[in-house]
Amino acid sequence: MKKYLAILNINLLNSLAYPAELLTRSLMILLFMWIFYQLWGVTFAASGSDVLNGLSLRDTMWYLLLAETLELGRPRLARVISQQVKDGSIAYLLNKPYDFIIYQLSSGLGESLPRMGMLFLLGGALTWIMAGPPPDLVNWPLALIALTGAWLLHFCANALIGLAAFVAEEVAPFEWIYQKFTFVLGGMLIPLDFYPVWLQAVSKSLPFAYMMYGPARLFVRPDPALFAQIIIGQLVWLAVLGGLLALAYSRGLRRLAINGG
Amino acid sequence: MRELRFLLSLWKTNLAAAMEYRLAFIFQSIGMILNDGVYFLVWVIFFDRFKDVRGWELPDMFLVFGVSASAFGLVGMLFGNAFNLSEIIIGGRLDYYLSLPRPVLLHALASRVVPSGFGDFLYGFISYIASGKFTWDGLGRFILAVLLASAVFTAFLVIVQSLTFWMGTGGTFTQLAINAMVTFALYPITLFNQAAKVILFLVVPAAFMGAVPAGFVRGFSWSTLGLMTLAAAGFLSAAILLFHLGLRRYESGSAIQTEV
Repeated sequence: MKKYLAILNINLLNSLAYPAELLTRSLMILLFMWIFYQLWGVTFAASGSDVLNGLSLRDTMWYLLLAETLELGRPRLARVISQQVKDGSIAYLLNKPYDFIIYQLSSGLGESLPRMGMLFLLGGALTWIMAGPPPDLVNWPLALIALTGAWLLHFCANALIGLAAFVAEEVAPFEWIYQKFTFVLGGMLIPLDFYPVWLQAVSKSLPFAYMMYGPARLFVRPDPALFAQIIIGQLVWLAVLGGLLALAYSRGLRRLAINGG
Repeated sequence: MRELRFLLSLWKTNLAAAMEYRLAFIFQSIGMILNDGVYFLVWVIFFDRFKDVRGWELPDMFLVFGVSASAFGLVGMLFGNAFNLSEIIIGGRLDYYLSLPRPVLLHALASRVVPSGFGDFLYGFISYIASGKFTWDGLGRFILAVLLASAVFTAFLVIVQSLTFWMGTGGTFTQLAINAMVTFALYPITLFNQAAKVILFLVVPAAFMGAVPAGFVRGFSWSTLGLMTLAAAGFLSAAILLFHLGLRRYESGSAIQTEV
């Protein structure tokens, strides 16, 4: 465990070593939140109602902030792992006394934490100015638990895509389409509450809703039944995706051919 | 004419190089079409629930998305290095282009093809047909609009990345600028107030990649055509000027490099 904490710590320090770079990278969220505010401000004004499908404009904006923080802050592991598989640098990691998957988890977390923190701070400041104060502090622990589950689900899906490089020449299209499914079926750009009922049911039967909608919705309107539903969903999908990841990794290693040193 | 022949042979070579990995090329193109299609579902869901945004409806989104995707794809297909010019500048890789008797900027930009660009380019046409506004003369306007929008987009990419000559870094800034351009182009222009529209026409010219050309596809207008042509010419001139001003500050890394 200590070695994985050390890996996490090294990546954390790496990310914090260039604060200007971290800040510039995070500016993207200001652009997105500003555009979201224009879109949803006009939409709420046109509806003539302060609350739509149980969400106010303020709720919608803080929902979108959390979803964007997760999307922009999660590490692009698929690219990293597929590159390591393709250029053979995976061999350098495999002969070390640690588990390759847990190594990726620790290093990804170390990279992700400062980025998500900065995104949330910057985006949160703008959202507060535009839409009003953040949700009550009592909502935060439930959202944080669901956020951890969502991050782990993203990790499993991304690592699976990266490991697909063992069998596919090019994995980028898998990554693009996976990302767009989290946009649409995860409710990243539009909260699932605004979807037709049948599509909400479809989304909630797939993992994407537990990767985005779950934590973001709990952040703005938490309730115990929803929390239980999301945590159970996350655990089920973590078991499925985690199992697939373990299988893909063991099968992939058998296909690995390394030439030279 | 000489430069056009040069460009044509570069594009031919680029295409042959991309087709060397035929399966990856086809996979990326189809993947990008699916990617764009799935992304657009967000707008289908939005307009199914909220009907319009200040008069802007789903068919308008199909048109905007169509022009922007095709323009984005066309730039990737023909001037793929427009997306990583700052990396070329920082890495000292302009040496190669400077040593050859061809226009540096044109040669550098056209020396790479982005395979997924073909997918974006094709998706734009699918989106146009799906808009329900398809006519044969509309198709002619669509093609013209895509050409002018790509000229503005290429020029914007060159302008942003030419700043690397002065700033010394540029990767993150370039990504921010590309995201701003594409995001603004893909949202209904009716959302933005007058001050924001000034920015969208003059600073981050996303209006010329989305709303303005989409309006031209909907119906011919000399004033819109004039505006788009003026924007394309203006931004291209500014891009060429800025790049060459920056080039005076360029310092070679003297590294031995191979351009493939």
